[in-house]
Amino acid sequence: MTELLVNGGRHEVHGSVLTTLAEVLRGHLGLTGTKVACGEGHCGACTVLLDGAPALACITLLEAVGEREVTTIEGLRDHPLVDAFVRADAVQCGFCTPGQIVSAAALVRETPAPTREQVRHAMAGNLCRCGTYPKIEEAISTWQG
Amino acid sequence: MSARTLSRPASLEALDETAVPLAGGTDLVPLVRDGLVEAETLVDVRSLLPRGVEPGGIGIGAGTTLADLERSGEVPDALREACRLAASPQLRAMGTIGGNLLQATRCWYWRLAFPCYLHGGDRCHAREGEHREHAIFAVEPCASAHPSDPAAALLALGAVVETTRRRLPLAELYRLPTEDDRRLTTLAGGELILRLRLEEPDASVYLKAMDRQRWSFPLVGVAAARYGEETRLALAGVAPIPWALGSPADLDAATPLPGTAYKVDIARALVGRALAAVR
Amino acid sequence: MARLIRTEKEVEGRYTEQWIVVEEDPLDRWPEGPLEVVGRPAARVDGLQRARGEARYTADLALPGMLHAAVLRSPHAHARVRRLDFAPALEAPGVRAAVGPGDCDVLVEEAGYQGAPVAALAADTFSEAQAALARVGVEWEVLEPLLDPDEAVSRGELIEEASRYERGDVERGLAEADVVVEAEYRTATVLHNALETHQAVCEWEGDELTVYISTQWIWGVRKDVAKRLGLPPDKVRVVCEYMGGGFGAKIDPGDHTYLAAELARRTGRPVRCALTRREENLASGNRHATVQRLRAGAKADGTLTALEGEFTMAVGWDGFVSSTAGPMKMLYGCENVRTVELGAKLTTGPNDAFRAPGFVEGTFGLERLLDELAAKLELDPLELRRRNGADADPVDGRPFSAKNLAECYRRAEPHWARRGEVRARSEGPWRRGVGLASQVWYGGGGPPSYAWVRVGSDGRATVLTAMQDIGTGTRTAMAQIAAEELGLPLERLSVSLGDSSRGPYAAISAGSSTTPSMGPAVRAAAADAARQIVEIAAQRFEVEERVLSLRGGRVVSEDGKSWALEDVTGLLEDGQILGKGSRGPNPAGMRVLTFGVQVAEVAVDVETGEVRVERIAAIHDVGRVVNPLGASSQVEGGIIQGIGHTLSEQRLLDPGSGRALTVTLDAYKLPTIADVPEIVTELLDVPDGHLTSLGSKGLGEPPIIPTAAAIANAIRDATGADVRSLPITREEMLRALREARERAYAL
Repeated sequence: MTELLVNGGRHEVHGSVLTTLAEVLRGHLGLTGTKVACGEGHCGACTVLLDGAPALACITLLEAVGEREVTTIEGLRDHPLVDAFVRADAVQCGFCTPGQIVSAAALVRETPAPTREQVRHAMAGNLCRCGTYPKIEEAISTWQG
Repeated sequence: MSARTLSRPASLEALDETAVPLAGGTDLVPLVRDGLVEAETLVDVRSLLPRGVEPGGIGIGAGTTLADLERSGEVPDALREACRLAASPQLRAMGTIGGNLLQATRCWYWRLAFPCYLHGGDRCHAREGEHREHAIFAVEPCASAHPSDPAAALLALGAVVETTRRRLPLAELYRLPTEDDRRLTTLAGGELILRLRLEEPDASVYLKAMDRQRWSFPLVGVAAARYGEETRLALAGVAPIPWALGSPADLDAATPLPGTAYKVDIARALVGRALAAVR
Repeated sequence: MARLIRTEKEVEGRYTEQWIVVEEDPLDRWPEGPLEVVGRPAARVDGLQRARGEARYTADLALPGMLHAAVLRSPHAHARVRRLDFAPALEAPGVRAAVGPGDCDVLVEEAGYQGAPVAALAADTFSEAQAALARVGVEWEVLEPLLDPDEAVSRGELIEEASRYERGDVERGLAEADVVVEAEYRTATVLHNALETHQAVCEWEGDELTVYISTQWIWGVRKDVAKRLGLPPDKVRVVCEYMGGGFGAKIDPGDHTYLAAELARRTGRPVRCALTRREENLASGNRHATVQRLRAGAKADGTLTALEGEFTMAVGWDGFVSSTAGPMKMLYGCENVRTVELGAKLTTGPNDAFRAPGFVEGTFGLERLLDELAAKLELDPLELRRRNGADADPVDGRPFSAKNLAECYRRAEPHWARRGEVRARSEGPWRRGVGLASQVWYGGGGPPSYAWVRVGSDGRATVLTAMQDIGTGTRTAMAQIAAEELGLPLERLSVSLGDSSRGPYAAISAGSSTTPSMGPAVRAAAADAARQIVEIAAQRFEVEERVLSLRGGRVVSEDGKSWALEDVTGLLEDGQILGKGSRGPNPAGMRVLTFGVQVAEVAVDVETGEVRVERIAAIHDVGRVVNPLGASSQVEGGIIQGIGHTLSEQRLLDPGSGRALTVTLDAYKLPTIADVPEIVTELLDVPDGHLTSLGSKGLGEPPIIPTAAAIANAIRDATGADVRSLPITREEMLRALREARERAYAL
């Protein structure tokens, strides 16, 4: 049994050595907002926060999470970025969107008013095949309303 | 899938020879899962590794993440920029500098488990096959390219590596594969990088050519560091290991494959720019 | 009244003739320009669900007792299974069933590409299923791969007979030309990489099958699955509430659906079959590579006298030959045109439709060729295109339902006029330039398509139709259309879609057809409901129906009196007003097409071969724009995908074995946010006066079509180098620069 701190709640979960955080979040805890799109750390769809820093849940081993607090999109559902993404139409198919918002939340926590260049730098690990990028830039630039 | 156990050792000093240390896990976890790295025993060393930058005669803990270094005001420009342009934001936030130096090649033949020279086979598939991302130096017997941006920066910065067992110049951490030993590093089983030490240069820079603006491994990365009159150059993405370049003229000695000849042009341009930038 | 017509149906540029029952489309056209809801920017009605991760995709579905399938795929480009032994796999932990060739007809004994499915098994968890795959005993006879399309053509290995087209006399046209240009263009195989991979969950209840699937066409899946499994279509329910991108590759049910259905039948449990990213990039379709050998002749004044093209498509083991010659036939009014399209059968993954299949590739060749011609003629490239406009369909002389390409060109002028200023910003190794390219595509949609609209006593309305929103925002567009017709604010509309058991037949989401097919049906259904509301109101308030209309959530009388909608619908209590509508016919004897032009600005580092796209202005005519916000997202998305195809994406194969090397998203380079230029979207927003009461055409595909050519033409403007091969990697850019230097030196 491994204890996992997720979105402020403690959970006892079970997994083998190579069980990933993404599998546990989606399969055991029902937190399916964290998407798995490549499963090998290349696309950013599974981005969560570990103690506030963005991490790829699909290549994070459950047992290596340790004491760090996991924040998923479900823990950010009332973050103003969510509305900003919807307002700016930074959502097409939406499969990458939760990961985008998690990455954006990490960015604006450190840099509340990022420049265009800072946005492009901090969001480059979240691939969007629909090409919502200009709207994502817009959403993050206007998230404070 | 070969990992059986994941343990947390009490100290880093006496790791078992067969123990495979796990820190950021960005490279190791997928490799273990794909069966490319055998790891009966994974040891979670993340919280034990020294993390952070000690100022003055700079020391960098091996557990310092690339994201830490990207934001550090204490490290030379070349290293900071190499970290900034490496991988993706998530990978930089997870990955440690120690692990970054030890990452495996991106050679698609190796990653897709072709029975290539580096895997112990008898030939390099890239030489006859698709090799646009591959080497221009030391292309025999394996034409893979070393993907670490920070390694090139640290090589130009003359970094010294402190392990659990010894101190060695970064250049000696790497080796080219030989018939009887296909490894690309000289670390022994159970030996762990603890710290890097380097001298503050008068000026340094890292320039990178890649296939997209971000989140790409280097086609060519060029680091330059000037100490007084001496400028040291090192390249990423051009040889199976990070490649020190004695002088710009050494690029004339490159032995590219047909599909990597363009990298020599890029390297020439970037070396010229890097030298101009640190002058 | 229902009417039986024989009509031409077009999907992705492929026409078929069929009988269709259609209702007339009797509604008045709405006036041009923004209305109350239609034509105004609207945030997505399902944006919050998607952004919060609450939307349930096929990938998120976990049915009680669900098993997971893993598929044994050929590791070889071409091989035959000599022996297959499941026994050890069936003993592996968690394994419940296994199927091989003979058990399910998508499983093959001769694998014609790496990734071809040979066997599959179902286990309690996906990792158990994957682990068990390794225990299947399989012996391969490895066969010779065939990877080169030209070689396949010379060996006569074609997917289908060569497609030839000719009008006029090309020899005469070339003889009359003052200038002739000739060049070979190549485009690479590119991969869709929708972020949700192909997947389905199949569940049997008695003899009824439910298919949860990430699809672009609920009703196509229903039809195909029913046919293949020998079921009445009504025994097959298809569900796709949210889906994570398709781009053309998710039209057919796919092997995974049939495998899930068969394994579910054998185990009596629901079964998920989901492709991994690597499988996705081997076996779920691709945009095939092309080789285009093109020739153009023109008079000194720029009048095209001849166009000729031989197009060879690297189709793969299976798939269709996309109409790469389409732009050459359709874009310009040239009298003498001859094309031949050859689809090479190779031992590579089957091609599938990918956002304007053929036209993306063919426009790259044609519009590059036009720029090379303009240079030789010393004519302005925009002017050359203007002089060769077609007033009627150049293929069969049919009138266009609407064509505003000349207006697109006029709107492009200010962007084109930035040339001097852009070039002047060249600095050091960075050379800057501007290029343009035109676009033609289909996008008219068509019947049949149906919708219902339900209005409750609370004065809220729901659109019901079993269509799918693949991420393009059609759910929102349908809500806007219904809201407009019912005079309701958007917040009072819901849209229920994504389930074949929950609404009537709806069109495919492909070929830029969802809005033009579904929009008029939704409008008609809403109009039917509105008419009933007016009838009731007239009786209740004792006024004539003709003086009543619905606006702002109220029933409004010409004399200024008005009543809240709920005052009318509230009379119904639990009753409902049900409107039904269908898509009327396309205009008889007319060609319905979309047109546009893009102007790209690039910077090229001539020492390192780096290409940066700095700005793209996209001017397109797609008729009435329902949601300008969503539409601009579609334009941006198309352009960004186009930039990927142009600069960084390519599927590479090992030339020896034919195995794919770029199957992971580190090696296969999709654009990131940092690769995106400034994008300026201008949509003409003029309703097509002949196409339905809505006048809207589709926008999914037009924006990706001219991007590659516009960028490559801008590179020529910046550097003088002719890039003729996609993607324009560093090595290709440096090669073209070297060639340009050598050419200049030779002069």
